[in-house]
Amino acid sequence: MSTNLHNSKTLTGKDLINIGIYTAIYFVIMMLVGWLGFMPVFIPLLAVVVPLLGGIPFMLFLTKVKKFGMVTIIGILIGIIMLLTGMGYWTILTGAVFGLLTELVLKSGSYQSQSKSVLANGLFSMWVFGNFIPFFVGREAYLADLTQRFGAGYSSALAGYMPYWILPVLLVLSFIFGILGGLLGRGICKKHFERAGIV
Amino acid sequence: MKMETLRRETGDGLKLDPRTKLLLMLTISVFVLGSAGGGIMVWVRPVLSVISFALLLCDRRIAAAVLYGAAYSICYAAWWFLLPLVTGMLNFVILTVCSLFCRFLPGFMTGYYLVRSTTVSEFTAGMRRMHISDKIVIPLSVMFRFFPTVAEESRFVQDAMRMRGIRLGSRKSSRILEYRVIPVMTCAVKIGDELSAAALTRGLGAPVRRTNLCEIGFRAQDIAVIAVCLSAALCFLLQQTGQI
Repeated sequence: MSTNLHNSKTLTGKDLINIGIYTAIYFVIMMLVGWLGFMPVFIPLLAVVVPLLGGIPFMLFLTKVKKFGMVTIIGILIGIIMLLTGMGYWTILTGAVFGLLTELVLKSGSYQSQSKSVLANGLFSMWVFGNFIPFFVGREAYLADLTQRFGAGYSSALAGYMPYWILPVLLVLSFIFGILGGLLGRGICKKHFERAGIV
Repeated sequence: MKMETLRRETGDGLKLDPRTKLLLMLTISVFVLGSAGGGIMVWVRPVLSVISFALLLCDRRIAAAVLYGAAYSICYAAWWFLLPLVTGMLNFVILTVCSLFCRFLPGFMTGYYLVRSTTVSEFTAGMRRMHISDKIVIPLSVMFRFFPTVAEESRFVQDAMRMRGIRLGSRKSSRILEYRVIPVMTCAVKIGDELSAAALTRGLGAPVRRTNLCEIGFRAQDIAVIAVCLSAALCFLLQQTGQI
C-alpha cells in the first residue's frame, strides 16, 4: 500500500501488523537455511547464507518502514523467536542493538535513501552473530554439551571450524554479505515485487 | 485459510491459560531444546516431554500425539539400549539422529500445541495481563496467526512447481529461490495486507483500549503444569549449585 494516511510519528496498528508479517516471513526463510547447521561446516557459513537470503524479505520490509522503532522491534522479535527455538538468549541483545543501529542509519537517510537501505541490511544482518557467541563465551561448557548431544566427532569438527580468531571474521562476513543480500533483495524487489504491485 | 487459530474454544477438553502455555514453551526450549544442565536434568527432560504429549492428547490431536510419542520413545530407547552396542560410523549416525529427535521434537510439538490450541484473542488477553506493551503484543500475535498461513501457501506453491518439474535435485534446482521463495513471499504479503485491513476494520488501530471477551485465568490444571515447570527450574538451580 503506497498511500500512507497516517502521518503521525507514532507507530500505528498497521505498522505493528506489518512488523509481525515480515518477521514471520523472515523467520520462515531462516528456517529453510537453518537446517544446514546440522553439518558442522555449515555453522560458520550461516553467517554468509542468512544475511544473503534474509536480504530479500528485509528489503521488502524496508519499503514499508517510514517511522522510528519498526526495525528495532523486528530485531527484538527475532531474538525472542531464537530464544524459543533454543538458540540461546544472546540474539535478543544483538537483535536489539543492531536493530537500533540500523534504525539510526535509516533515519539519517529519512527512510528514503536506497543506498542507505542496502547498508541497513548489512548492519541488521549482524544480529546473526548472537548465535555464535556461545562458542566464545563459556566455550568449554558449550563444547562439552555438544559432545554429549552429538558425539565427540561433531563437537571436535565444529571446534575446528570455530576457532577464537573466527569471531571478528564472522562479524565482518555477516556485514559484507548483508550488503550483498541487500543488493540482491533490491534487485528482486525491482524484478518481481514491483511488477506484482506489492511494493 | 485455516480457521483453527481463530476458532473459539467450546470449553471441552483440558484448557490451559495462554500464560501457562508460554511458560511451558520457555521451560521446554531452555531445558530440552537448549539442554541446559546435566546430572538430574537428564531425567527432567523426558518428564517435560511427556507433558507436551499429554497436552496434545487432551487437545484431541490424537494422530500428532501418537506419532510424536512413538518417535520420541523409539529414539529415547535407541539412545539408552542400542547406542552402547554399536561403534564407529553407525554409532555416530544413531547418536546424531536420536539426540536431534529427542531435543527438537518436544519443542516443536509444544510449539505446534501452542499455536493450534490458542486463539489469537486468548493470546492477546494473556499478554495484556502480563502488562506487555502493544508494540510487542500486536506483532507477536500477527506472527502467531501467520505461521500456519505461510506454511500452507508454501505447500501450494510447492505443489504447483512440482508439476513444472522444479524441485530440489532436479535440473532446475538452481531456480528454487526464484520459483519457490518469491511466490510464497508475494502470497504472504498479499494475505498480510488483507489481514491488516480486516484487523483495522475491527478497531486494532483505534486510539482506545480494546476490550476482550476471552475468559482466561489460572485453574487447577494450570497450577499443575506451572508446578512442574518451576520444579524443573529448581532442579536446574540445585544441580548447578551442586546440591544434587
